[in-house]
Amino acid sequence: MDDKMLIIDPEKCTACRKCEMVCSVLHTNASNPSRSRIVVMKWDNIGMYLPMVCQNCEKPFCTEVCPAKACQRDLKTYKVQIDKDKCIGCKTCVIACPFGHPSFDSVERVTVKCDFCNGDPQCVACCETKAIDYVDTDKAGINRRTEFALQYNLLRGYVKRK
Amino acid sequence: MDSGQGNPIRDIKYLRPQKVWGWQIAVYLYLAGMGAGSFAIGVVWDWLGYSAYPSNAVLLFGPLLAAVGAPFLILDLGIKRRFLNAGLNPKTSWLSRGFFILLIFIVFGVAALAMSILPLWGINIGLMLFRIVEVIGLIFAFATAIYTGILLKALKYIPLWNTPLLPVLFLVSALSTGSMLIILSMLGSSLLLPNGEYSSQLTNILMRTEQILVFIEAFVLGMYLFSRYRTKEQGKTSVNLLISGKLKFVFWGGIVVSGFFFPIVLEAIYSKLPEHTFLLFLTGFFLLVGGFFLRFGIISAGIKEQLPLHKLIELQYNSMNLRKKRL
Repeated sequence: MDDKMLIIDPEKCTACRKCEMVCSVLHTNASNPSRSRIVVMKWDNIGMYLPMVCQNCEKPFCTEVCPAKACQRDLKTYKVQIDKDKCIGCKTCVIACPFGHPSFDSVERVTVKCDFCNGDPQCVACCETKAIDYVDTDKAGINRRTEFALQYNLLRGYVKRK
Repeated sequence: MDSGQGNPIRDIKYLRPQKVWGWQIAVYLYLAGMGAGSFAIGVVWDWLGYSAYPSNAVLLFGPLLAAVGAPFLILDLGIKRRFLNAGLNPKTSWLSRGFFILLIFIVFGVAALAMSILPLWGINIGLMLFRIVEVIGLIFAFATAIYTGILLKALKYIPLWNTPLLPVLFLVSALSTGSMLIILSMLGSSLLLPNGEYSSQLTNILMRTEQILVFIEAFVLGMYLFSRYRTKEQGKTSVNLLISGKLKFVFWGGIVVSGFFFPIVLEAIYSKLPEHTFLLFLTGFFLLVGGFFLRFGIISAGIKEQLPLHKLIELQYNSMNLRKKRL
């Protein structure tokens, strides 16, 4: 079991949308961000950006609703995958996913989702601010936890601000 | 806060009403529901002994409408020639369970229709066999009508749809539109072949049923909207969208006026003036249109729930605004 996952830090994202470009070129041979598997949600007016990727849920809604058994968890890699040859394009998974992740590819006429680039995600490789990272599952929240601990200790005065 | 328009945080792609499923799914749900409803009502009234006349017409309508509705679902697919794949995963997916339910309903509906026609050619089959086929058909007719609601209910992340009241609402709506369809078909056939004497009693009974069903439907719709308004924020937004937002013409014009107000008023007028049959045709037309817009409105008002991540962004925005105000 490959215990790695994509984690997002919205505060680091600058919405350069390089990840979308790289993803679409890699997967579709076309520089078309609307066909990419990663979507950066943007709030330009307040300067906040949120890259959305497959969260690889424990109990995925998309596999539950797929009528064609195309969207399934790969038992070897433990990742949720969509089989393009089985998908009928009913778009049920697009509605079912809370993260708005599987997207309908209007050229191939099937639903596509992040395939984690077979263990080497290119969005992570190209992201310069490290807003998106591919880490071990048990270390996923470690940055946030250290940050919280630091802030808490600063607040209580256990450590001094330098 | 209706529909979130104007709010810079709310007005993003993911918190707007979904556009993935459109009118095709609404037509599919509507036709399948109406066919199932007319089959169920026709068979039950036939058992209660109100003449064998309507059941033939009705047996035709049930499977036929379901069979006409199913291609609309296929029309919505990305790759249409793979539609048979839809039945591969009946373990968890309601779409493929529905595929089988609809298939069995159509098959048994057609079988019942064929069996009811056979005596015309002098071939006699046992009443027992006919009844068994009818019972199975009836069970699957109800299953089809309820399934149209469960298909939407199974998508758990849309608060407007995720309620057991939705299958109930669709079932009642299916029965009311189905019974109206029987009345219309009987009226239509009595215009062509004048044999009104034994259908008038049945028309009255069916109209009474249909009136009661419309009232129940209005009650269930009210309960449904009320419960959705109170569950989650996006449920509230959806209901606001229907009542006062972008979809208000669909809701007030299509569902309330056409689906409930006109049928009730026109039937009250018809009971006073029974010689004007066109009133009943008008009632039927409005009721059937209302049934379609009920599905269409509910499908196009579905909004996904807000994610914790979205909430985080919204909190940050609000605190930023507070800071701005203080400065």
